[in-house]
Amino acid sequence: MARERKRPEVTDPVLSMTPMIDVVFQLLIYFIVTTKPIDVITNLDVFRPAPDPNAPKDQKPPNLVRLGIYPDGYTVNDNPVTLDSLDAALGKVASIDAGQTIMITVSAASEHGRLVKALDLCAKNGLKSLSVVSASN
Amino acid sequence: MRKQYAEAELNMTPMIDVVFQLIIFFVTTADLQAKSLETAVRMAMAPHGPVEEVKDPRTVVVDVDRDGRISIMKTEINERQLLAVLVKARNVSGQSTPVVIRGDDAAKHEAIKRVMDVCGKAGLWKLRFAALKEKAS
Repeated sequence: MARERKRPEVTDPVLSMTPMIDVVFQLLIYFIVTTKPIDVITNLDVFRPAPDPNAPKDQKPPNLVRLGIYPDGYTVNDNPVTLDSLDAALGKVASIDAGQTIMITVSAASEHGRLVKALDLCAKNGLKSLSVVSASN
Repeated sequence: MRKQYAEAELNMTPMIDVVFQLIIFFVTTADLQAKSLETAVRMAMAPHGPVEEVKDPRTVVVDVDRDGRISIMKTEINERQLLAVLVKARNVSGQSTPVVIRGDDAAKHEAIKRVMDVCGKAGLWKLRFAALKEKAS
């Protein structure tokens, strides 16, 4: 008569997923609530010409587009323009020569936001050669 | 009689503890980095500006708030101190060290000009203006 062997009963290891899912869910909610979107920052390159003490006082280089920024508006080659026509004018300049140097003269009293807006329009039209000069008045 | 196997149970608790600690560590350090650049400066919008993929690690960020106060990394400094900082930056990392000016939208150009002049005095000519490309909602 065969001896009856009593095998130990091995229970299947059961991994309880519920608490883990609970924790992961809590984490997910925490991060969704606390994450705030970050502003996308852009950097507008400019070139600032070194003042040349030997240059004549009111010498105007011939091949430059002069863009003036004043507290109350913009000028292109001394003609007052609106922001829209400035955009159009810069587009026209860029279509002729994208490497054209734009000389931006900013009056001291004008807001920085105006300069950024003008530089943004230059970037929009693909103009890269920008030099910023500060007017003394 | 054979030894009864203990139920093979995987204890998840320590693992989750460790993972949670790691997550907290990374979240707080990432937050610190973001906070060091956070200011009260409200930058102008430039939706067409280029996005910089690789940031030059030498970049010096100078903030100019709406009242024309100059600060670096949230520390308000005067022009003399700014000059000292920029001269040191030039001596350490060369003349091509980029300077990013984060000017407030409403700051007068006069204040920006002062910073640009100090940069010129320090021998740094690679200037850029920071602006918002996209505002986080």
